Amino acid sequence: MKPRRVLRTLASSVLALASASVLVAVQMRIDERLVDAAAGPDLLYFSSPAGVKKLALGYDSMLADIYWMRAIQYYGRRDLAERRPVRYKNLAGLLDIASSLDPDMMEIYRSGSTFLAEPDPVGAGQPQEAVNLLDKGIDRHPLEWRLQYDKGFIYFWHFKDFHEAGKVWLNAGRLPGAPDWMAGLAASTLSKGGAIETAKMLWRRQFEDSTRAELKENARNHLISIQADEERWTLEHFVEQFAARYGSFPRSLEDLVGAGMLHYVPRDPSGTPYRYDCITGEVFLSPETQITYFPAPEVYREAYRHKLSSLRDRREKPAK
Amino acid sequence: MTALAIARNTFRECIRDKILYNLVLFALLMIVSSYALGQLSLGHENKVIVDVGLSAISIIGTLIAVFIGIGLVYKELEKRTVYALLSKPVRRGEFLFGKYLGLLLTLFVNVAVMSAGLLATLLLRGGVSWQECLSILPASYVMFLSLALTTSVALVFSTFSTPALSALFTLFLWIIGHYNSDLLSFAQMNAWGPVRGILRALYYLLPNLSNFTWVDSRSIIHSAGYYRPIDAVAIAWMTLYAVLYSGCLLALATWVFARRDFK
Repeated sequence: MKPRRVLRTLASSVLALASASVLVAVQMRIDERLVDAAAGPDLLYFSSPAGVKKLALGYDSMLADIYWMRAIQYYGRRDLAERRPVRYKNLAGLLDIASSLDPDMMEIYRSGSTFLAEPDPVGAGQPQEAVNLLDKGIDRHPLEWRLQYDKGFIYFWHFKDFHEAGKVWLNAGRLPGAPDWMAGLAASTLSKGGAIETAKMLWRRQFEDSTRAELKENARNHLISIQADEERWTLEHFVEQFAARYGSFPRSLEDLVGAGMLHYVPRDPSGTPYRYDCITGEVFLSPETQITYFPAPEVYREAYRHKLSSLRDRREKPAK
Repeated sequence: MTALAIARNTFRECIRDKILYNLVLFALLMIVSSYALGQLSLGHENKVIVDVGLSAISIIGTLIAVFIGIGLVYKELEKRTVYALLSKPVRRGEFLFGKYLGLLLTLFVNVAVMSAGLLATLLLRGGVSWQECLSILPASYVMFLSLALTTSVALVFSTFSTPALSALFTLFLWIIGHYNSDLLSFAQMNAWGPVRGILRALYYLLPNLSNFTWVDSRSIIHSAGYYRPIDAVAIAWMTLYAVLYSGCLLALATWVFARRDFK
């Protein structure tokens, strides 16, 4: 090859590379300017599931995948959600369209209802929309016990409607393929609604059955929160016993050990000591705690303290 | 025999066509990219791969059928090769039929290659059995039937119109063909007899492409995504419809082409 030709090729290559790098820099500047615009208005361009199905021209299954992935991104992009006037306004609409395009995709009903029902910041905090989505799935798959189980879960956990939850689980237990524990769950809920044992059983089941990391993590956080609550309520129970015995609340939780009521003062599941208010006798989680805490409803606390009191009464009876 | 020779040549011509290679490559790329998309779908990876793969086969196949189909006759006229061909003992009907068969063979090879790519993607990814993979093939076959019908529509327009207009007409008919059942609904809603009759006639006259999209109120792609078997009787009816309708269109194309004056 002639030296002149080599030189020309070299110059062209350098020029092409320089242009490419300038192009990247220019694109980055454009992207920087578009950061806010990228969030865009929180619009759902097609809000009618029937309309989208009609426009799909037979490619509805692929469109369902696209809408499902859009729903996941819409739910998962927390940075974008923070900037919207209503964080998850269109989540129910997206899931409605996805489930109309592919009514057989169970994940839309099951995970979608979790996305909708869980309170902020984990989910959209729209349990009624979650029930509507599950009802749509149940309408299409009346023999699918898992959908009924999820519906009962929302009634139990988010609406605190234990009677309705028990009724739904009772129905689910009669469906083909339903596990044996479903009937027990329904019976337990219907007989002693609000019992913390039922809540623990539910979250444990979700933790064991879930194949998805974020759902597993959510169930784990709920189980850890219940464990922390049980420990706090137990400590408060002993504080009250201490007050009954000595006429005043202990000055610190260590006094309970001194009085022979405890072997040691427990720490929360992350290993952080509990905070104690010696004026009110209440035990709190420390602000330094590492656990993701979900407060339990008041009815659980009452049921748990009732259980502790019964245990104490039973222990004291033989002494009398 | 003459028609088969023309078909062979058309097939060779199509295979040499660079656009065709690009489209096949694009389809294969889409199938492979569906693997990446599957990662975003939370537990439905294989379904997404099947959905995107089959949709790509259908969309790319339709593009090939329309954009190659509209040039089948026009190109021969423009290059004036048709004069040399028709001066020999070759009937115009044979010429058209050969052209149609050639493109059909090209489409068959395309659908087969794309389906093989889809099956390979699924098997490499794992989580599906051989039987489940093979249950996708009837869906590919139904798509091929739909493409055969689309090609015959393109061929009819190609005999008397320019490629641009032929493409436009074929794409319009392709869209109308998917909404054909609405004509019947309008006819049932309309109380006035003549309008009802016209709508009903149009329903039977226009190509009903939704026949190849829906089986038992589920789309073909949807059924394949869940590895549901497609009813063999339904496939037989679809095949009969495609053969009969394409045959009618080929006869119409021959009739139009026979009346063209090449002087």
